[in-house]
Amino acid sequence: MERRTFIQGLAALGVAGALPLSLSRAFAADIANPVSVDTLPKLKGALTLYLGRGEGGLYENVLQAIQKKNPDLDLAIRRGPTAALANTIVAEAKAGVKRADLFWAVDSGAIGLVTDAGLAKPMPSDLSAQLQPQFRYDEWAPVTGRIRTLPFNTERLTKEQIPTSIMEIADSDLSIGWAPAYASFQSFVTAMRILEGDDKTAKWLKKVQKRSKTYAGELGVVMGVERGEVDIGFANHYYTLRLKSGKPDAKLDLAFTEQDAGCLVNASGILSLSDDPLATNFMRYLLSVEVQSYLASEAYEIPLVNDIKQPDGLPKLTSISPPKIDLTQLADLRPTIDLMRSSGVL
Amino acid sequence: MKILLKPAKKLSATFLLASAIFAQPALANGPIGEHVNHLQANLKTYNEDVEWMVSKVDTLVSDYEKKGAKVVNTDDLIEYWESVKFHSAIETNYVPVYASIWQGLYGIKMAVDNKKPASEVRLQQQAMNNALWQGLGAVKLAAQFQQKGLLKSVKATATKEMTQSATIDEIKHKLDRVVAKYAERLSDEATSIVHDTYLHLFEGVEGTLIEQDANLVEVLEKDFNVTLPQAISGNKTVNQVREVVVDMQTKLTRAQTLIEKAEKSRKDVF
Repeated sequence: MERRTFIQGLAALGVAGALPLSLSRAFAADIANPVSVDTLPKLKGALTLYLGRGEGGLYENVLQAIQKKNPDLDLAIRRGPTAALANTIVAEAKAGVKRADLFWAVDSGAIGLVTDAGLAKPMPSDLSAQLQPQFRYDEWAPVTGRIRTLPFNTERLTKEQIPTSIMEIADSDLSIGWAPAYASFQSFVTAMRILEGDDKTAKWLKKVQKRSKTYAGELGVVMGVERGEVDIGFANHYYTLRLKSGKPDAKLDLAFTEQDAGCLVNASGILSLSDDPLATNFMRYLLSVEVQSYLASEAYEIPLVNDIKQPDGLPKLTSISPPKIDLTQLADLRPTIDLMRSSGVL
Repeated sequence: MKILLKPAKKLSATFLLASAIFAQPALANGPIGEHVNHLQANLKTYNEDVEWMVSKVDTLVSDYEKKGAKVVNTDDLIEYWESVKFHSAIETNYVPVYASIWQGLYGIKMAVDNKKPASEVRLQQQAMNNALWQGLGAVKLAAQFQQKGLLKSVKATATKEMTQSATIDEIKHKLDRVVAKYAERLSDEATSIVHDTYLHLFEGVEGTLIEQDANLVEVLEKDFNVTLPQAISGNKTVNQVREVVVDMQTKLTRAQTLIEKAEKSRKDVF
């Protein structure tokens, strides 16, 4: 399988093409060693963090640990759905109010809403350098990743029977579980629109719909696959890993497509809205060896800092071939939702 | 009128729970009102509100009893209830009894609109009165907690930590609100709360829970996505919807125990 690299700063062409990684970036893609929290500056002062919900409390454990390690940090947290908080940040800025110093979002689309509005502060280059080259952005730091996968029922299928093209799956005879109302699925469809165009995406949605069973969420999809209600599903990787952790004999495994939206790697991320170095220093804690390792082992999320062990049960990032796409292009879900509605999927 | 109170111990737990989940800047019926942050100062008003409600409803039922349905407008019942401050005081402090008040109001309304015998209307009236007095007791107790600083002010921005266990508490509270909105005849809103609670709260704890008890997750998935929405869309009685919710809350208590156990065994971040 050929390894393909991500590109940051793609022009928003809305088509399959992507600009090549600039030479300066390619040569500058030296990888810094991961940093231990013990070497980081102490955090002193007040910060307000807007935290997107959805990670189930493990981010809270990280925040508590940071606060415990930094007793002079006065951290106020506003919680809510990620998209709602992104809209709030933009609305507050328009009203001339700045309440948030930091925004930790569970998906990069919400990050894109804020960066597109020109509200995010530049990332220090030494901080970016800790990230794998394909995950470096000028105005935000991906924290952890998640891969779109094809969970499949191992009693009904072998991996070899599953197409490695997401577009071909629409023409297969496989029964499919999906959660069209789910934000991660909509980001995946957005990626397909960008890579394949609206017409192909609409046709794909209509074809898949004929053989699909709808679930409310993607854990439901994975459980449906495991029960044998459907052959395969569309879901983020960690649902399968967690189900298999709780049910080791689960009739379930993961397949991946190649170089298309079906194996999109999306990311949670953090950005600074403040010029105060305290905000940037806070971000350093999230990219530390300890936090990255914790989120990998406890939340099954993919660490994006170099040399951190990946969650068990997942192939190495180097062995899969995600598409070239600027994650912040996934910000505007409206055209996707419109397309899904006009296709009869929503 | 005898005040019907649940054991204080049970209510205490409810208020501690409620204090953990105040994050409702506005309700379906409009702004909450600053008065809910000063319960003690408003107890006299709340007491008068309840007495006024009881009296107004009694006048309406008596008119129906003597002169029939033509002389009463049952929509007034809803107007009475939504016009009193006590309405939001109970909604922000003890949602289960808030649901019972709405259930009683609609019980009276439907009995009158369907020209049921006055004795049946009186039964519904008694149920509503009981709920009102129970609610007043609950608010008085909440006022004591608030005076001791044990109840947080109602604010749009929560800064309290939201552990997975606290998330389960919030889910339970949201389910109480589902019953309340259903009792208010706001089925669409009740269904929206179910969906939002699933997507924004339950989804967040499912990952941990499925590692502890995959079967429990399966059952709760069905409850959230099939059983409860179908109970609402199928026009079941308020009591039947409440039964589904109570059953879910029992399962969620089990889930909470498992999650707390998992959290204890979880490795430290640093």
